[in-house]
Amino acid sequence: MLELHRVSYRYAGYATAVLHDIELTIADGEIVGLVGPNEAGKSTLCLVASGLAPASIGGALSGSLSIDGELMAGRPPHELAERVAIGFQNPDTQLSGVTATVFEEVALGPMNLGLPVAETLARTREALATLGIEDIAERSPNRLSGGQGQLVALASLLAMHPRHVVLDEPTAQLDPEGTRLVGEALRALAATGTALLVTEHKTDLLDGLCQRIIVIDGGRIVLDGPAGDVLADERLPGWGVEPPSRIRLARAMAGRGLDLDLIAGTLR
Amino acid sequence: MSEADVAFLQRLAPPTPSSYHRLNPFTKALAAVAESIAAFVIGGYVGPLAIFGLAVLPAAAMAGVLRRLVRVSVVLTLPIAISVVLISVFTRAGSTVLFTVGPFDATVEGVDFAGQVLVRLITLSTAIGLFGLTTEPRAFVFDLERRGLSPQLAFAATATLEAIPAMLERAKVIQAAQRARGLDTEGRIADRLRGVLPLVGPVVLSSLTEVEERTLALEVRAFGRRGRRHLLWTMPEATWEAPLRWVLLAVLVVIVAARLTGAWPAIP
Amino acid sequence: MSGSWVRIAAGVLAAIIVAVIGVQVSGTFQGSVDEATGGNTSVANAFMLVLAIALLIGFVVYAAVEYAQTGALRSISSQFDTRTIVLMPIAIAINIVLGQTVSAALKIPVYLDSIGTILVGALAGPIPGLLTGLLANLIWTFVLAGTPLGSPYAWPFAIVAAEIGLLAGIFGRLGFFRPRPNTPTPQLVVGTVVALAVLAALAYWGILPAYTKGVTFFGDLSGVDPFFVLMAYVIAAVLVIAAIGLVVILFTRRDLGVAYVVVGGAICGVISAIISAPISAVFFGGVTGSGTDFLVAAFQQAGSSLSESVLQQGLISDPIDKTITYIVVFVLLRTLSRRFTARFPQGEQAVGLVGA
Repeated sequence: MLELHRVSYRYAGYATAVLHDIELTIADGEIVGLVGPNEAGKSTLCLVASGLAPASIGGALSGSLSIDGELMAGRPPHELAERVAIGFQNPDTQLSGVTATVFEEVALGPMNLGLPVAETLARTREALATLGIEDIAERSPNRLSGGQGQLVALASLLAMHPRHVVLDEPTAQLDPEGTRLVGEALRALAATGTALLVTEHKTDLLDGLCQRIIVIDGGRIVLDGPAGDVLADERLPGWGVEPPSRIRLARAMAGRGLDLDLIAGTLR
Repeated sequence: MSEADVAFLQRLAPPTPSSYHRLNPFTKALAAVAESIAAFVIGGYVGPLAIFGLAVLPAAAMAGVLRRLVRVSVVLTLPIAISVVLISVFTRAGSTVLFTVGPFDATVEGVDFAGQVLVRLITLSTAIGLFGLTTEPRAFVFDLERRGLSPQLAFAATATLEAIPAMLERAKVIQAAQRARGLDTEGRIADRLRGVLPLVGPVVLSSLTEVEERTLALEVRAFGRRGRRHLLWTMPEATWEAPLRWVLLAVLVVIVAARLTGAWPAIP
Repeated sequence: MSGSWVRIAAGVLAAIIVAVIGVQVSGTFQGSVDEATGGNTSVANAFMLVLAIALLIGFVVYAAVEYAQTGALRSISSQFDTRTIVLMPIAIAINIVLGQTVSAALKIPVYLDSIGTILVGALAGPIPGLLTGLLANLIWTFVLAGTPLGSPYAWPFAIVAAEIGLLAGIFGRLGFFRPRPNTPTPQLVVGTVVALAVLAALAYWGILPAYTKGVTFFGDLSGVDPFFVLMAYVIAAVLVIAAIGLVVILFTRRDLGVAYVVVGGAICGVISAIISAPISAVFFGGVTGSGTDFLVAAFQQAGSSLSESVLQQGLISDPIDKTITYIVVFVLLRTLSRRFTARFPQGEQAVGLVGA
């Protein structure tokens, strides 16, 4: 369980806070989507939820982050890494740039933990298998498509065995094929019982993946509820979030007097 | 770990096609440094040429990289060799003047000096070039880490290998773009000086923007943890290599000491 | 804060004492140049050895004082956070790529191969700066060996690169790279006078003594080839123009930070020239394959010995090169987002606080 309690955060070198009074709990195995307009504080919330802000990037945090009931304040990043992982947009900068094969790339995290070789080997194979990328294990990490690169980055996180994973727009720089690959990987990940917090512009990806969706605007949580309700909320476009195509289609149909459920029924 | 696992991990190590390649990277590096230093300390023609002909060339032939070594060394030595010849020939104070160009006299002593510097440079560049052509940089750095180099410094060394081609690519793209916009890299010195910042700025800035994201991506893989790592594969090392290195080192120390104290006369 | 000053002072003092003792013990570095082999190997090696030992002991003293004060080595280990380690390879790549491509493309006799080292020193501190310089030259030679970018000639200069990084770290900690916008006029005038005085002192005691033989600025000009008289005037004119340029920039930009950066760059340049001259003379006969070789040739022709000419050349090119490099780094640091720079161990000293 990952809990943020009364969290406000200000970056180092800046006078004003970007997150205000955030109250958020993610249960074990829960998949939570995070949406909101640009500059709303989504990325900052991801960094705070992963503990990297302030553990790695400094800044001033008030309130608390606790994981499985333990307070995380003051812990160095490598201790946080085994509890909560964070993934970013760009596959290239998430690769270490020092490995010759995908296998070694994924093995880097377990090696950094100082694990024995046998354990590193087992964790790496398991992570590759979870995401179904065993076939590229011996390829160079520099010669992958964007989608494959993102899967390798994700596998590298899984090899750390975190029980919580935060993903900051994992498909923002990917083509439709890459987005599809990552979408499948997220479903596979969800099936392992890992708790997920996913920021995403593409609400189609969240639809059907998340149980719960949070809307953030101006550094505050403005809506928090079951995924179906939030995605169907009339105010969503006002927060700069485009509803999933399923709902837009239904609305367009309804505007012309057609009932999508009725059509679906007829087709069936 | 099963035998198959061990074999799999060893397959990740770079290939070693010849018996010279199979020497441990540390042994090859020490040989290159010892040969270079010895060539400078002994001086004259006979010493450096003996090292070049009796140590570097046979080893290169054994490794099957003779032609590539010659090519690389010529590329690396040519610019500096031209400078050496032009400058030494014309500016050494000497009694026997061969001919005069403007205020510059070409002397026999100058030709002799240029010759000596050239044989040293050839020995140096081929000794180090041979090391480079027969050693995968990653294997060298991993081997140093096995011997106690900190994992963080090992990362810095290997990451440079990736960073340089990426930056060259950037420099090329940016330079081409700026030429297209009419930036002068030909004209007067003042114009060229003014050209430095617009070129340096974008190259450096675009590289530095990657630092932040890569830092965070490494933090979540426990990069900041201090302590040894268990490496997945190691480079081979024959039992006689350590004694060989001590012998090399001892010979070098004797040569340096003998030359410094003047115990040995200068060899022509 | 005062504790760290004690450490720095102790370290610098120890290094200076060791260097002075070493110089006394190993004798003078001038005069005994072996003309046949183009440099006195034993003297130059001894010089290098003295410097290396002095640096090492200075560092050990610094660490020992810190350990005595705090019971840990935090100031050193905290300079190596993940961010700094990730920056180092990029910085080394900047050194190598700019050192090879930009100076070649622009065809000017400067090296520009220490921008990355100075950047790390300024942002992360003296020790990472030192290590970046050292690693850059070792990697340039050994890790890139066998590639077209490798340089078998870089490693002997590793100690110079280390010194450049160390110095940048110290200047960074002292706030030399900090912008000082809208400096009030009285402060600007005083600062300019002080900066010019420091530069003049540096030139008088650090640079001019190297030119007493062969090329003289104020001596008897009869019998000297007009070519060299002309060259001396050109150099003098460049220096005067540079000084005027500094004053003009200071008063148009109204940023005293420029004066700090120029002084820092000039100091770094003089020290680098003094350390690198013997290496260049002994290993490469004073030739580095760059545009500066012409100057070495000219000084030799004017009657200086090899090691003297290399030093005379270095004392012209290095201060110019390092001053340009310092200015480049100063501008870069100002261009980078504060969110980025503030996260480095020494970031706040290097760029200052918001609104400060």
